[in-house]
Amino acid sequence: MMWRWWREVKALLAAPRRVWRESLLTRTVVVTTVLSGMAVTVIGGYMSLTIQSSLFNSRLDQVISESVRTSTQIQALFDNSVTPAGTIDVETANSSAQTAIRTNQSVAGSGGFAILRTPGQITLQTMTSTSTSGLDLTVLSASLRQAVVQAPESLHHQSVGLPVDGEVVPAVVTASVIQVPTAGQYELYLIYDFSDVQATLTLVQQTLIAGSLLLVLTISLVTWLVVRLAIRPVKVAANTAERLAQGYLEERIEEGGDDVIAVLARSFNKMADSMQGQIVRLARLSKLQQRFVSDVSHELRTPLTTIRLAANVLSQKRDQLDAESARSLELLETQIERFEVMLTDLLEMSRYDAGAVEIDRDDVNVVELVQDCLDQLAPLAEQKGSPLLLEVLGGYGDVDADARRLRRIVLNFVGNAIDHGESKPIVAFVDSNEHCVAIAIRDWGVGMSEKEASRVFDRFWRADPSRQRTTGGTGLGLAIAQEDALVHGGKIDVWSDPGAGTCFRVTLPRTEGGSVDHSPLGLPPETDLVDATGVFVEPESPEVATT
Amino acid sequence: MSATILVVDDDLALAEMISIMLRGEGFVTHHAADGALALDQLESINPDLVLLDVMLPGMDGMDVCARIRDVSGVPIIMLTAKSDSTDVVKGLENGADDYVVKPFNPKELVARIRARLRPTTDAQASLICIADIEIDVPGHEVRRSGSRINLTPLEFQLLLTLALKPHQVFTREALLEQVWGYQYKADTRLVNVHVQRLRSKIEIDPDNPVIVETIRGVGYRSGKAVASAEGVTPAE
Repeated sequence: MMWRWWREVKALLAAPRRVWRESLLTRTVVVTTVLSGMAVTVIGGYMSLTIQSSLFNSRLDQVISESVRTSTQIQALFDNSVTPAGTIDVETANSSAQTAIRTNQSVAGSGGFAILRTPGQITLQTMTSTSTSGLDLTVLSASLRQAVVQAPESLHHQSVGLPVDGEVVPAVVTASVIQVPTAGQYELYLIYDFSDVQATLTLVQQTLIAGSLLLVLTISLVTWLVVRLAIRPVKVAANTAERLAQGYLEERIEEGGDDVIAVLARSFNKMADSMQGQIVRLARLSKLQQRFVSDVSHELRTPLTTIRLAANVLSQKRDQLDAESARSLELLETQIERFEVMLTDLLEMSRYDAGAVEIDRDDVNVVELVQDCLDQLAPLAEQKGSPLLLEVLGGYGDVDADARRLRRIVLNFVGNAIDHGESKPIVAFVDSNEHCVAIAIRDWGVGMSEKEASRVFDRFWRADPSRQRTTGGTGLGLAIAQEDALVHGGKIDVWSDPGAGTCFRVTLPRTEGGSVDHSPLGLPPETDLVDATGVFVEPESPEVATT
Repeated sequence: MSATILVVDDDLALAEMISIMLRGEGFVTHHAADGALALDQLESINPDLVLLDVMLPGMDGMDVCARIRDVSGVPIIMLTAKSDSTDVVKGLENGADDYVVKPFNPKELVARIRARLRPTTDAQASLICIADIEIDVPGHEVRRSGSRINLTPLEFQLLLTLALKPHQVFTREALLEQVWGYQYKADTRLVNVHVQRLRSKIEIDPDNPVIVETIRGVGYRSGKAVASAEGVTPAE
């Protein structure tokens, strides 16, 4: 469950992650935005706090000084209300005190006041406690009242939330003590509305936030622009390099200016120039060489034809020659034959090297083709004492291939197997699957070491130069076979073990443009026809044909 | 009467050797070292067959081939050092009947020559009709509504082979064997190119052939006779 959730999240994040990985621009802009956003937040927060406290404090100072003045004034008012007789009309004094407070509290804000009798006094008379109408006396907290009573000499203040028209606005309550003659101790509470301070603060904060956002946005935009400017040449260079890699050797970067980008462009172009020069030079050399091989092979053909015809004419008069001349003629003829095969192979190889090979596809029945090849080489195999067997596991259907080339591959494999098969059986396997068809030729002969097996496709390479050859290979056979397989989109694999034999396997796609991933045949394929030591086991299956 | 063969090759040694070999086989040979000489000799000695090297100084073998075709249907066998498609196909398109790649087996060359010199198979029918053309077998002529169509002996042989078995589809291999005389697998481009040449001469619309039809993946077949041709006995 947890894993599924994680997978879903991962899948969801795949696209952004890719953008993050692939786009330097995105990465830079995102990092800049986040970092500048963080910086702006810290700075803005600090500024906001500083402004807040200084606004509050200056207002508080103002409020306190006003409160002190009011308190002093009220106290004086009460003190002066005492008649020379020592009596006092407290209620009259009270109302004039209220008027005075109202006059003093002219500072903006709804405010209010309260004159409350300190509880627990026994006096000659009492004065009515008064307060601004509508003032909720609960804003005067018990702690404040207590503090005032305990330290009547100083002015106390407390921040409170003042309910006004259903809203709570910030306010400060100041508290002081008034001694009303004959009526005892009263507490004077002055309430100052701070909502204007709050409004100023809110405005400042809003401005700060808006400014910060704008700043971050500007920074991001500038970063985006700068990075774009900076990476554009890099992008151009990357694209140009890509084009060069695709073979468009003429591609260059536009040069201009003297800055580091221009230096990059110049160096890049210089590199491209030298590369192009090298490639063109090598290509010309290689083409020349291919042409040379091809021309030589062609030029040799006319004299070779003449020699061949001459040998043939002589051959018809063989009876008139003495033994040594006849043998010489025989050698001449076989060597002409060999020369010819070599020329043909050389030409074929040069054609592959020049990339001038066209394949002639047709429906080919692989089983019939392999059977044909075995039939063709049967006399030679018989001469060497190797029975040729065919084990068909599949591949009865036609495949789209060049029969001539496929035949050449198989003949080459079988020829090699006969040469190195040490008179042991040779088995040809054919099998196919949905996508490809495979032919394998297995012998139980001398085999090769791993190092030797890795070189079998090299031109003119021989496993053992002293080894006797009967099929007269040119040393190009396997190299050509490999090209033949490649041009079909197929491949050739080799298995070999010294003393245990060799197996060559070609795998071709069934259709043009198909690919080969998994060969239908093992390497080497398993068989019941021959045991591990290379001894032929009598076939029981009707599918098996001995040739 | 022994057949006369004109050997056109600039390589004197090879030309001489071929001549020796062919004389040994009972042919009469003449030699021309370049294209101009070959065209002259074509008129003066009227050979039964031309062996033509593709690489010639001056006039190219291809051009010589085309020039010979302009005036004569004489069988032409090309000698080429290159079996690469372009060269061979170009030669065949220029009218060569067959080609032999150097270095060739002398026996093979003789076999090719004999195949081209061999008189065409005598068919029972004297007049065969396919689509809107009629084939006069003894007269070696092909006519469309009375007017003669010029075919080389090879083209005639190819058409006749197809026409003699009107419902049978011939594979390219079968045609190579019956028309060119190849006993083993050979280059099927020979058939393709010559069918194209034949069509360009006998079909009204060579892109939509009705006389020599292509059966995809198999080979070729002759078209059905049009009943309107009067006094004509359909083959078989």
